Amino acid sequence: MVSLVRAELRKLLGLPTAWVGLVLGTLLAPVVVLLNAPYTRRAIAAGTLTDTSDLGLRDLGIGLIGPMVLGVIVVSSEYTSTGKDAPGARQLTATLTAVPDRLRLLAAKTTALVLVVAAQASVTAVVTLTLTQVLHGEHVPAPALTRVAAAVLYWTLTALLAYAIALITRNGIVPLTLLIINSSVVSVSYLLTKVTDLAAYLPDIVGARMFIRGADFPVAIAPVTAGLVMTAWVVALLAVGAVLFQRRDV
Amino acid sequence: MTTARAELRKLLTLPSLRRTALLTWAANLLLTFAYAAAESRGEPLGDDPALAPLGYTQAGFLVLGVLAAVSEYQEGDQIRTTLLAMPRRLPLQAVKALALAALTLPVAAATAATSSLPAGGAAWLPAATAYLTLTTLLGAAVAGVVRRAVPAVVLLLFVYVIAGPVLRARFGASAAYLPDTAAVDPSRGAAATITWTLAALTLAALTFGRRDA
Amino acid sequence: MITIDRVSKTKGRTQILYDVSFEARPGRVTGFLGPNGAGKTSTLRILLGLDRSQSGTALICGRPYPKLDRPLTTVGALLDGSGAHRARTARAHLRWVAASNGLPDSRADEVLEVVGLTGHARKRAGRFSLGMSRRLGLATALLGDPEVLVLDEPVNGLDPAGIRWMREFLRDSAAQGRTVLLSSHLMGELAEIADDVIVIDKGRIVIHGDLAEVTGDHRTLEDAFLALTATEAGGPW
Repeated sequence: MVSLVRAELRKLLGLPTAWVGLVLGTLLAPVVVLLNAPYTRRAIAAGTLTDTSDLGLRDLGIGLIGPMVLGVIVVSSEYTSTGKDAPGARQLTATLTAVPDRLRLLAAKTTALVLVVAAQASVTAVVTLTLTQVLHGEHVPAPALTRVAAAVLYWTLTALLAYAIALITRNGIVPLTLLIINSSVVSVSYLLTKVTDLAAYLPDIVGARMFIRGADFPVAIAPVTAGLVMTAWVVALLAVGAVLFQRRDV
Repeated sequence: MTTARAELRKLLTLPSLRRTALLTWAANLLLTFAYAAAESRGEPLGDDPALAPLGYTQAGFLVLGVLAAVSEYQEGDQIRTTLLAMPRRLPLQAVKALALAALTLPVAAATAATSSLPAGGAAWLPAATAYLTLTTLLGAAVAGVVRRAVPAVVLLLFVYVIAGPVLRARFGASAAYLPDTAAVDPSRGAAATITWTLAALTLAALTFGRRDA
Repeated sequence: MITIDRVSKTKGRTQILYDVSFEARPGRVTGFLGPNGAGKTSTLRILLGLDRSQSGTALICGRPYPKLDRPLTTVGALLDGSGAHRARTARAHLRWVAASNGLPDSRADEVLEVVGLTGHARKRAGRFSLGMSRRLGLATALLGDPEVLVLDEPVNGLDPAGIRWMREFLRDSAAQGRTVLLSSHLMGELAEIADDVIVIDKGRIVIHGDLAEVTGDHRTLEDAFLALTATEAGGPW
């Protein structure tokens, strides 16, 4: 199993698009914190920004494109046609010849993805929060370690969500488009919370409750409950993806 | 003329383009409904509901352009059949853009109408239709240079969904140079959208003319 | 008539073609022979206007490929695979290609019949086997009833019946006065059908002449080829 995970890690990190995801995802949040620093300072001084406990943690959200790209391409790279000779040929054929046990293959892929994204999320969180402390330290309390860990968990679950949807759709474009649009400043899920309170339980909205405190939010959900609900979404979608992957012809 | 017919036929027989157009239109309908529902609950979302849904569904048009362009390169190396049949690359590139625009126009009009008419924004309809069509061409031009769907979509959505809003929030007044400002404020962003699209099309034509197929 | 005159090409830092010159004449099958990576496909892609050369000219009937009007009525080309998008049906693929050169839709079904794919007209290209993809590629090449045929490894992926069919088809085409240029690394196959032979190795033309000349004192074309392209000790790899 260790060698399988190593093979999947090598495969993932060999994709140029993976590096786009890694670099973008890691740099975006710190860059935005830097860009917004003068504005944030003014807002704190003017007293318009009263609740500063989410500062830094909230900025992490913009880097989520990284885990989304990583989660999707772990799957979509297997389904892209490899040659001109036969448009039907896909990398997955070679992969499954090497590792015929599909569930073991999925377990290895999942592990590789979790390792890469958790590492990326930890680096990003530490850099972004340190930067926030350096820039606005006197106004912003250092966030509790559990909240940082919850943010890392949120990134990892987001990557797994992207991965599960890609497994179901066998295509990279659909999940990427849906997820990236939904990571915009005003997300579609957030719009839906204006329509129905049930939308508060959509994975991206509920997951953010793990580490974000103050936000206008229709339903009060405790951090642990939030984590459980998001995990349940990911597990359910992964289960559907795994069953389909197991049953489908390549 | 024969080239135009061939290019139209190619686009019309790609199932992924039909699916994308349909999904985009349906998503727009859903978003229009969400905006209307929020309004009726007394929690308006701030933006002009005649245009706001298009800020999201423009992603579908970017994808439409990307899929049209990369269909030549991915999933079967079709580009060489195209170039064997129509070897003059610059006229071909121009016809490709026109054919894509011709097919996108009705989809863009239908999508724009879905969100602007119920919100009483009929005056925005022509501008929104033109904007979505140009956005599709820009997507196709970028994908024609990148030649692969996933990286092209990541790049475009990054610019439109993440970088654009951040820059607009930070440097509000000067954002008239961004390609997607027109989606929120047509009168201010129109020139930028046209310029960016033409620049992308020129770049795509230049690289297409010089590269090995 | 195909005339290639002093064509050179560099990809990145490596030169892959050095002053390649040869002719392929009407009414004859010209075999373009060379080991893997010798420059056969690059030469053909330059001839067809798909890739650019740094210097030299490659002409078909006296004109560079991009200057031909309705090129499919002059040249039919078969490269690897089918050149069709995987989501399109065989018939839809052939119809857009026909439309691009002002050919009637009915040509699509005619060429499908020629290559024996009539029963698969509504199948998507992505579901074709390797052999069927090649047949679809050949059907595309034949749409314009061209006087020049350019084929890259035409028998790759064909079954024995398909290989025999291809051989007879190419011989018939030459007999009708067409120019046939095909590349191959299969000596035995080429010896059966070629009138003229060109051997390329590491980007240079090694020999050019009719089959007897090229075979020379060697027992077979294969022996001649291996002698001409002999590489360092350790085998042809």
